[in-house]
Amino acid sequence: MIGFLKLLARNRLALAGLIVMGLVVVLALITPLLPLANPDIPDTPNRFKPPFSDGAILGTDHLGRDLLSRLLWGTRLSLAMGFAAAVIAAVLGSAIGITAGFYGGRTDNIMMRGIDMLMAFPYILLALAIVAALGPGLMNALIAVAAVNVPFFARNIRGITVGIAHMEFVDAARLAGMRDREIIAAEVLPNVLPVIVIAMSTTVGWMILETAGLSFLGLGSQPPQADLGSMLGEARSALITSPHTSVVPGAMILIIVMAINLLGDGVRDALDPRLKSGALTRPMPATMVDLQDAPPVATTKSLLDITQLRTEFRVRGRTYMAVGGVNLHVEKGECLGIIGESGSGKSVTALSIMGLVASPPGVITGGAVHFDGKNLIGAPYEVLRSLRGRRVAYIFQDPLATLHPLYTVGAQLVEAIQTHDPVPKSTARARAIDLLKSVRIPNAESRINSFPYEMSGGMRQRVGIAMALANDPGVIIADEPTTALDVTVQAQILALLSDLRRERGLAIIFITHDFGVVGQLCDRVAVMYAGRIVEEGPTEAVLRVPQHPYTSRLIDCVPVLGAGQRRLAAIPGLPPVVDRLPTGCAFADRCDKAVDACRSGDIALNASGLGRKTRCLFPENTVKETA
Amino acid sequence: MTGYILKRLISAIPVLLGISVIVFLIMAMIPGDPATAILGSYATPENVEKLNRDLGLDQGIVSRYFIWLGNMLQGDFGRSFALNRPVLDEVTDRFGATLILAGTSFVLCSVFGIAAGVISAARQYGFADKAITFVVLLGISIPSFFLGMMMILIFAVKLRWFPVSGMWPIYGARNFWVLLDHLAMPALALAVVATGVVARLARSAMLEVLRQDFVRTARAKGVPERRVIWRHALRAAMVAIIPVLGIQAGFVLSGAVYIEMVFQWPGVGRMLVDAILKRDILLVQGGVVFIAACYVLFNILVDVAQALLDPRIKT
Repeated sequence: MIGFLKLLARNRLALAGLIVMGLVVVLALITPLLPLANPDIPDTPNRFKPPFSDGAILGTDHLGRDLLSRLLWGTRLSLAMGFAAAVIAAVLGSAIGITAGFYGGRTDNIMMRGIDMLMAFPYILLALAIVAALGPGLMNALIAVAAVNVPFFARNIRGITVGIAHMEFVDAARLAGMRDREIIAAEVLPNVLPVIVIAMSTTVGWMILETAGLSFLGLGSQPPQADLGSMLGEARSALITSPHTSVVPGAMILIIVMAINLLGDGVRDALDPRLKSGALTRPMPATMVDLQDAPPVATTKSLLDITQLRTEFRVRGRTYMAVGGVNLHVEKGECLGIIGESGSGKSVTALSIMGLVASPPGVITGGAVHFDGKNLIGAPYEVLRSLRGRRVAYIFQDPLATLHPLYTVGAQLVEAIQTHDPVPKSTARARAIDLLKSVRIPNAESRINSFPYEMSGGMRQRVGIAMALANDPGVIIADEPTTALDVTVQAQILALLSDLRRERGLAIIFITHDFGVVGQLCDRVAVMYAGRIVEEGPTEAVLRVPQHPYTSRLIDCVPVLGAGQRRLAAIPGLPPVVDRLPTGCAFADRCDKAVDACRSGDIALNASGLGRKTRCLFPENTVKETA
Repeated sequence: MTGYILKRLISAIPVLLGISVIVFLIMAMIPGDPATAILGSYATPENVEKLNRDLGLDQGIVSRYFIWLGNMLQGDFGRSFALNRPVLDEVTDRFGATLILAGTSFVLCSVFGIAAGVISAARQYGFADKAITFVVLLGISIPSFFLGMMMILIFAVKLRWFPVSGMWPIYGARNFWVLLDHLAMPALALAVVATGVVARLARSAMLEVLRQDFVRTARAKGVPERRVIWRHALRAAMVAIIPVLGIQAGFVLSGAVYIEMVFQWPGVGRMLVDAILKRDILLVQGGVVFIAACYVLFNILVDVAQALLDPRIKT
């Protein structure tokens, strides 16, 4: 509760709303004690006195009554009406919602059908019908507004109750022999009460507005008694000659409703955990770049060269170093595999290349990515955009989530082509069909009109590959493209990628956690752990004689077909959390060879001959090789 | 698609029946003798007796409902005692004016609400977002009738940009431009709250969609950001926005009551308020059923629009 209030207080607008609302409520409460003129007794000689005149600071209305007095009494009445309507609606609606949600089945069905019927009416119309039947008047307007808002509460509370009614503690209470009524009172009600209160706090503003509206129409409070709505209604005829009589009550309604809305928003924000975690921020068009030092020069003359790349996630004052200084390069026509557990930073590395890391929270804080000799980190958005898809294309993991669900695959392919090559639509379409054929999709001419949801996972991934090929890129970055697929489909996709690479001279960066896949496709492989590369070298050599203890443990985890019964060696422990990386080797705590030296300082990625590199003080297998 | 529309139309029948039951039950709450309530206390005994016979008031409540329903299905909504003309004629005469007003407001709130929400989301926490958020908050807090009055004061009385009230000038030509001149202020005043609601929802729907993987795919393809926002993200966000547009349609349709009072607009809303104050029960009853039925039909349009947008909805 204190945490909640703190959150609310941090939201300055909500706090302002709370203060204003508090003031209005206090004013309304002490109105009878204030030395005010009687709000209902006419004084016709003094009608329409302007504001700031003697004895009437806000002026007088069409019958010469003091506006300040009428305003305060009217506010009192409007607030009372609004709150009363909210309470009635909440009690009735919650009773219906709890009953329907708790008992379920037929009770639920019938009650909710009735609620649906009520909701089929345009909002205010139902209130008008009720007032028409009961006759104009304060109480009748109150009943009408409350009745109109019952469905809102009934629906919300039913939803919550259904969830609670199936919880273990309700079952336990039932087994303990408690009767339904007792369970509702003891178990359900305390759990839905906060929701009811929140729903009230967000709707009370509406109800004040609606009762004021009915009074404005002359259907609510009847003269001489006035709430804010009827004050405004009566002032309407003198709008042009004495506007202050309208402005005063109107401004008051505005202030009250605005304060309540601010407060309601604050309450909602304070209670919505997603907003707290910052999950509702949208990623920017390109990852933020905040370089801590001058960008390094490229270490190689490769097509794509990544030097000392560092990417962090900044979440609520904490910094997670997802990529901590990665060097990689890929040559023309070469396939580089990046392998590692989830969370090792392999995907973030891949996405950093074209600035596709979601930002916020992602920030690139260091390093350089040279493509064709030009550094992309910190390059203007337009430069990045013109390279994306044209020279460097991506294939992502789950093709159902990564293809737009509401466009046909053809439209998405055509867009990929036309984005970088302004050919007419018919040409683009013909090329799209060719692309689909090149990824071996049967009936490409008809398949082009399919929506992603109409295709199988393997077909969708072929579309994803076709889209990446659309502009004949130099590099394709495939971020676990086969992880979501069946093993047989996986093999087909790998074969396809392998063929395409040979036909088109593509460079591929292939990200995976699967050594089998790496062995099939990649020339070289880099192993990542806790945001850094721990081993790198030709695939064959690394798979056969791993040098880093982590690599060898990782390979031991892979079951070998036909190798008979063998205990799978899972690696004990978990990877370190990347906001508190240990000094020295990040794997030290899980490594059985670790000594003090491993934990005392940074360990370099040392070349160990034959194009291999290892980040380990005591690499495995080297002795065997040299001996 | 035709099959889907037909299916939705058929499924509207129970809803329409439910609406008629609810209106009937509400009207059955009228305290005292309904015939006196309907005809007023100065009615002649003959008239009272005739009405009692017409409405079947001498019979049970169930048969009364079916008599009423049967009459309505034959186009007989009863007769307004205050206007002395068939209820249906009066309602349909007035409904056109309301439709023009509410329809314009609906278009305004859809276009501006969505645009504001999208811009707000695309520039989250930027200046445009903060400005829009503030204006939206103001918009959803101001009572439409007060806003309308202030608009009259400023734009009609002070600046003389628009006529003070009414749908047509008392003298002079009745053409599209004259109508537009009269329509501008009321339509805007009616649209403001709905625009705010749509903008808020559109913003959160866009924020939700912009985090989706397919947005990253579009960016990875090199699609210009403007297109990413207005095509890819907005199209997906519309799936969440359209149902709210349906709700807002009901809101402007019924909220037109206030605006019609403020601007002397000759629509059904004003007719209903007059009828309530004159206790012209049959006119109220007929008007309410008619508007609610139109709203139900409009919601079918909303469903169809949703199905056209989202191919995953089984049609």
